[in-house]
Amino acid sequence: MASQSCWRCLLRCPPSIYPGNRLFSTTPAVLAKPLKAKKSDQAFGAPKKGVKSLRIKKKVAGKSTGKPPAPGERKAIRKRIVLSNTNALEVKGMQDLSNENMADEEVRGTVVGLPGPLVDRLRAVEAFRTGQGWGLFRRPGVLMRGDSLEIAKALEGVESEKKTLRRIYTGERRSGKSVILLQAISMAFLKDWVVVTIPEGQDLTNAHTEYAPLHSTTPVQYVQRAYTASLLSRISKANAPILSNLKTSLSHKLPIPIPRDTPLSRLADLGVRDPDIAWPIFQALWDELTSTQAARPPIMLTLDGLGHTMRDSQYRDPAFKPIHAHDLAIVRHFVDLLSGARSLPNGGAVLAATSASNVPSTPSLALALSQRLHSTTTTSSQQQTLSRLKPIQRNPFIAYDERVLQSITPSVDIVELQGLSREEARGLMEYYAASGMLRHKIDESFVTEKWTIAGGGVVGELEKASVMGVRV
Amino acid sequence: MRAAWLPTKFGLGSQLLPLWVPFSQQTSRHPYSSLLRAIRYSRRGTIIESRQFVTSLTRRGIAAPEICFEPKDSQKGIPGHARVVPASPSYFTGKPEFTDNLLFLQDLLRKYQTLPVVQPGQAPRVAWKTLAQYRLVVGEPVKASKYHKIVLLLQRLNHIHPSLLPEDVKSAIAPYKRDVNPHENVPNQRTVDRFGRVIGVGRRKSSTARVWLVEGDGEVLINGKPLVGVFPRVHDRESAIWALKATGRIDKYNVWALVEGGGTTGQAEALTLGVARALLVHEPSLKPALRRAGCVTRDPRRVERKKPGKLKARKMPAWVKR
Repeated sequence: MASQSCWRCLLRCPPSIYPGNRLFSTTPAVLAKPLKAKKSDQAFGAPKKGVKSLRIKKKVAGKSTGKPPAPGERKAIRKRIVLSNTNALEVKGMQDLSNENMADEEVRGTVVGLPGPLVDRLRAVEAFRTGQGWGLFRRPGVLMRGDSLEIAKALEGVESEKKTLRRIYTGERRSGKSVILLQAISMAFLKDWVVVTIPEGQDLTNAHTEYAPLHSTTPVQYVQRAYTASLLSRISKANAPILSNLKTSLSHKLPIPIPRDTPLSRLADLGVRDPDIAWPIFQALWDELTSTQAARPPIMLTLDGLGHTMRDSQYRDPAFKPIHAHDLAIVRHFVDLLSGARSLPNGGAVLAATSASNVPSTPSLALALSQRLHSTTTTSSQQQTLSRLKPIQRNPFIAYDERVLQSITPSVDIVELQGLSREEARGLMEYYAASGMLRHKIDESFVTEKWTIAGGGVVGELEKASVMGVRV
Repeated sequence: MRAAWLPTKFGLGSQLLPLWVPFSQQTSRHPYSSLLRAIRYSRRGTIIESRQFVTSLTRRGIAAPEICFEPKDSQKGIPGHARVVPASPSYFTGKPEFTDNLLFLQDLLRKYQTLPVVQPGQAPRVAWKTLAQYRLVVGEPVKASKYHKIVLLLQRLNHIHPSLLPEDVKSAIAPYKRDVNPHENVPNQRTVDRFGRVIGVGRRKSSTARVWLVEGDGEVLINGKPLVGVFPRVHDRESAIWALKATGRIDKYNVWALVEGGGTTGQAEALTLGVARALLVHEPSLKPALRRAGCVTRDPRRVERKKPGKLKARKMPAWVKR
């Protein structure tokens, strides 16, 4: 059938094409009903090629009716630290960690509880970490292993002689490096020391907090104001009972005027409130704490995840070159104290722990630790047994980081945490059984079996094999 | 003439010898002697070498030579009236070779039945030829029940005290033995070496583990690493020392092992077998306990091969309409 408008007629536009025609319509365009979709030609006849006509799967997966978690909720669950399990039994006769028993040989191989106020302060310094199994038991408790008693004794010596203990804890995965830091922090709290912690070295270097160059420093250092404010917040919250009794004794050049005899807790809070002045406040606070003009307690400074602070950070300088982690002011502060470039005149301890699960590639640190651990003239007295870490030879094809190699000075003790002894393992498993988390008779053969399965008493593996592994 | 009874190689009885000794005078039979095919002689003592099928005179030039009726030099001594008879009286039975063999062994047993025998079960273990192998040798459709008669005779002969076993019996039963005696294939006995170590080798899937087990206090080193460094999964760690755990010997031995090939599970279970085998040398009486724990038998399963037309060993591709 021929078209009604012949080809010649197309030369003239039909009236409907005039846009002006629409002006006469009284129906707003938005109210017009949408055009019905044209019926498919495929209603009958063979299906088109590529069209799936046979549906073998009858069931369509039902959509979950549950509400998706709110933004940040999953992370909160992941990061939440649970310190109590109301279903676990109260362990009768469990001692609490105290000044009297922390270095006592009597408690070797037993689990001691952490007293309530101490737990709050440990929470404030973020000493607890997820995955350490705190949520399995009625209340937090720590095993007093040989290394715990050793650090307790070392801290006693530090206090009496006002010297600085510098130490790096290393060891294989789940060997208890972070928990030994927690134990040291607990002891420091009990001894009324001031505790300053960097709970995770990665937070400082992974470029998740803002940074700015610090004026009048060559080479340029970078300060992380928001992180410094949170650091001050941790210091102020955890050490409030001590810092509120200490008053400023020096005169400081600060952006804001502070009256004389300000409590140090107040000084820290000023920095928490205003991140812009957090770094000068931190410096002033540190000067006050290390001042010899007034009676100051010893300081404990700890850092977990040392590897991240011994390499280039994720930050960039204006020339877009990576900033070395040691050029970050807070890291620099820690590393100077660790290496001995700065000291603690009132005594104290600078402790660091490596991580074996979140471990960046740091050949320089690995080499430095390995050389110290496998050298025949090791300075650390406790390295009686053979190191379980593989010895590393200096590789001529790797450019080692001299700043890192020089920061691990001979004054730093390197302590490799190894497996528990069988007696310690037995004490720990008796605690598990007393908590009702392990339903098995604790005898020689059972302890040996778990000790072997845990790779020679690696404490985290022991927990995994005996308490976490019983999930049915 | 006794040329027919000259010893021949077993199974190769194809010597063509003319025989005219009557059956009644034969005193012994050789196995497979009926294979000695008789050659038919003509009445006149001449050998019919070929038969003339060609009648055409024109083809005589290429045809076989004519029969020579004059006796050849080699046959001068043979009387012309001799009739060739079969080498064996079994020639006209259905299974002459088998019959010969059976009769020969029966004769042999009758001859030596007074010799002292060993207690049942004390005779040297011998694997006799299987029925299929025997049929191949004789080339006859021997039934299983018939061959069983031979085997019974062989077993009886084998029970003659080894120190008194006559040479002819030895040589007679030798052809019935399998080429490789599986009973002689015994593994070498492992022993504790001068350092107190025992090596045990275990395999599973495609993993191989060499385990050195010494008396100790429950330390384990695998490829120079502690157990946790090799097996992140607790289950695999338990598998690796399962033989010790099942027998309550974890705190009695130290394990030093090298394991290679395959995956985590295979390596762990190869270690199970290796540890069990080494433990059996230290304490052989643990075998029933280890067997109950499933540590004695090697699991022979391997990855099933992929087949053409399938995505994996058995997985079929998804069905499509066309």
